[in-house]
Amino acid sequence: MDIALEDKTKVLNPENWVDEHGDYLYRYAWSRLRDSTGAEEVVQETLMAGVRFASQFAGAGSERGWLLGILKRKIIDYIRLRQRYDRDGASFEDEADPTGQLFDANGHWRTGVLPETPDSKVASRELWDVVRGCLNTIPKGQADVFVLSVMEEMDSDDVCTQLGITSSNLWVRLHRARLGLARCVGHKWFAEGETPKHD
Amino acid sequence: MTNDKKVSELISKSLRYRLSEEEESQVKDSLEQSEEARKFAKLSQVIQESVTHAAERAEGGDTSVAPGLSDDAKNRLKLSVTDAVLRNSQATNAASVEVDAEETAEGSERISDDARTVIGMSASLTSTVPPTRKASSMFQIVRKLGEGGLGTVWLAKDSKLKRNVAIKEMKMSALESPKAWFRFRREAEITGHLEHPGIVPLYQFGVDSKSQQPFYAMRFVGKRTLSDAIVEHHERIACEDHNNLRLHRLLGDFLRVCQAIAFAHSRGVIHRDLKPENVAIDSFGQVIVLDWGLAKVMATAELGMQLLLEDETLDDGLLAQTMAGEAIGTPLYMSPEQADGDLDAIDERTDIYGLGAILFSILTGHAPHEKTAQSAESGSRVAAVLKSIANGETPTPSDAGVCIPQVLENICMKAMAKKRYARFESAVELAEAVERWMAGQTDRAAQYETLRMEGRELKNDFQAGVDDLESNVRFASLLPPVQELIAPENDEQDAVWRERLATIFTGLMRAKQAFSRIVLNKIVDGKFTELVRVERHSRDRSTVRKVPRSKLRTGTANQFLMTTLDKQPEEVLCSLVCDPLCEKGERCDEPHLVAGLPIYDEQTEEPFGVLMIDCDLDSIFERQMKRSWTAVEIVAACDTFHTLMQAVDGKLVPEAQSVPVSETQPDFLQAIEELQTNLEYIDETNQRIYGSRLWLIEKVHGLMYLLRLPDNDG
Repeated sequence: MDIALEDKTKVLNPENWVDEHGDYLYRYAWSRLRDSTGAEEVVQETLMAGVRFASQFAGAGSERGWLLGILKRKIIDYIRLRQRYDRDGASFEDEADPTGQLFDANGHWRTGVLPETPDSKVASRELWDVVRGCLNTIPKGQADVFVLSVMEEMDSDDVCTQLGITSSNLWVRLHRARLGLARCVGHKWFAEGETPKHD
Repeated sequence: MTNDKKVSELISKSLRYRLSEEEESQVKDSLEQSEEARKFAKLSQVIQESVTHAAERAEGGDTSVAPGLSDDAKNRLKLSVTDAVLRNSQATNAASVEVDAEETAEGSERISDDARTVIGMSASLTSTVPPTRKASSMFQIVRKLGEGGLGTVWLAKDSKLKRNVAIKEMKMSALESPKAWFRFRREAEITGHLEHPGIVPLYQFGVDSKSQQPFYAMRFVGKRTLSDAIVEHHERIACEDHNNLRLHRLLGDFLRVCQAIAFAHSRGVIHRDLKPENVAIDSFGQVIVLDWGLAKVMATAELGMQLLLEDETLDDGLLAQTMAGEAIGTPLYMSPEQADGDLDAIDERTDIYGLGAILFSILTGHAPHEKTAQSAESGSRVAAVLKSIANGETPTPSDAGVCIPQVLENICMKAMAKKRYARFESAVELAEAVERWMAGQTDRAAQYETLRMEGRELKNDFQAGVDDLESNVRFASLLPPVQELIAPENDEQDAVWRERLATIFTGLMRAKQAFSRIVLNKIVDGKFTELVRVERHSRDRSTVRKVPRSKLRTGTANQFLMTTLDKQPEEVLCSLVCDPLCEKGERCDEPHLVAGLPIYDEQTEEPFGVLMIDCDLDSIFERQMKRSWTAVEIVAACDTFHTLMQAVDGKLVPEAQSVPVSETQPDFLQAIEELQTNLEYIDETNQRIYGSRLWLIEKVHGLMYLLRLPDNDG
């Protein structure tokens, strides 16, 4: 009696997964999680799940696409667990509110808090490096919401469901993330080089 | 007017959604007027584009977006994949063979892929497949035993060893949840490491080759749980079937649960979900603690270190991650710290609370927080119950409205103390407290049996005195001088008969030390006249004197005399009365036991008077108290709840006489109430107090003995 796994593994070829897709999956995970240990963990879980559920591979798409689909779920699971573990819930978020540094008591912009904007035409690696670095300076709870929302283009309701937060909390986090990133990216961009190299 | 802060929120929003016209207008105005607003909008736009672009590049495989895997990481991943592929192929092979051979078998099977790798983990992935020893098994599912949140438990047949096993299988719905995988595997790991007679032995952990559902096989311990035994015990009590042996059996089971938990604690494992449903009792009375799915392993414990070394993902921290802020355990038996979701506060004493909750259930037949759950509104029941457990008062077993031995209630309350430091330090300490009570109960039962015997003995002794009194009053009434004195021929004859009767009475008094007075009364129109009276000296009880005619009394006959006069011939009335005219219910400093018999004129057959023998109660009680008794306190009380006698440690307490029992010993009040209608009061719960009733006039008048053992402090 043939078992589906045996047939599918011929197609899926899991033994070659690390060589063929390991870097791709890892980079994808790393760009979302900004954490090498976490990225490796979710890639490992993805590959394990791929082997375990090989029988569910319909064969319609590519092997990489199928694994990427699993990876996306694992990343969300990981972020959810990380958010719960970090316990930087409401109180921490409140403390990490950058509005006090950017606005005065009347809610008006403080002068000079934001530097000039980098050239918007460039989507350079250097700019991404700065943005990525700044994502690590803002609270994980804000950064994760920003990543899921912008990078993963997840629907707001989905983000709320996956992270177990309310819609208003989502918007507060997103806005704070944007404020924090704007401040950080602006300063870092001009602090790290007056004449940044562009691709 | 909208300030910059509000507008910045609109700018953020505009990056994801289209704004309304009004909002767009506000943003536009702000961008024209404020340089900082322009900078923020621009920066945010650039950042968003950068992030989106990076995301696209990452998906497109651009290597500049992020670093690739290190060589070490690749090797680790390859090993994992190879191992996983190997496990799956073994399972598939096993399935192929076994399923082919069992194609005709009914029901579904669970086939394990449990393979033991003997190669070191450093082996190169490119090398040949490491040698392994396979251990495949096949289990024939028989029927479902139960279902929980995480898994389903089946009764199954191990096809190779031909034995029944229980299989717990993770639900399909939980397969995609890493948390569920983790908890399921965690449960198997912990259960497998805890080898103790009170903890279910695990035979195998594996993954079903067909469904990919993880499962583990364990000893089948039957379906009966401690919960079933508790329900049966309390249903029998409700049917008036009181049998202390059943309670002792349940407590014996409880002790074995304590021992199993003590063992788990010694290995650094905290169960966290202790309840009667998680304790199986097999047909031979063996007690097995089940369901370690929520167990916590202390990282510093030997087992914690072991699990950590074997697999980092088994670190309890991950479980903690999954549950931070969540309440762990079953609400009805949950400790305050669990209800509060305070994971850091959970330690061995959390299980002590759980054990106390099981004891609560044994004693009352209800879960500790059952009332709280019932009173909570259904809409937010769980949240309300948790809040109440975390912040409310701890329920007490006596709140459940059942009689509970005080010592056991105290033990239960200590185990379930709200503050952790106030609980027993260990499961062993809790078990010892219960064991001490049980051991004490054996002695106590013997002691109480003795107490009951003493109570009956005191009553019988008093009854014997009453019988003697009655027979003597009958005897005295039949003496010839009695009839001669009804209608003496002359004064001389009258004097002679009086003298003769007094002489006989004196002899009788000397023979009966308890008699204090014998009187022949003539009663006419409610007035009594003493014809003959012989009495004992009040201070020198050895002196008996005939009362001269000049000292004989006359007066209004009291109720006792009139009632006696109404009796039929030979019918004796025995009662506790005061002398001379103290009515029942009034304070009576020296109540007497009196037997009276109506004297009828044999000529006219009309009632003439009453012959009365008065017995000194003090002398009866003094004689009784000369013996040594097990009871530390003995009280004799009359129907008006007044103390006739109180003896503490065998010594009479004269000042207690005539004082209401409620003042001398309130503990006896419940017994007195019950003795208004019953002949005995038996203290089934605490085996401390015994009461015995003696009727002098059936259902109308009498006295009672109340006896007390010293407190059983367990």
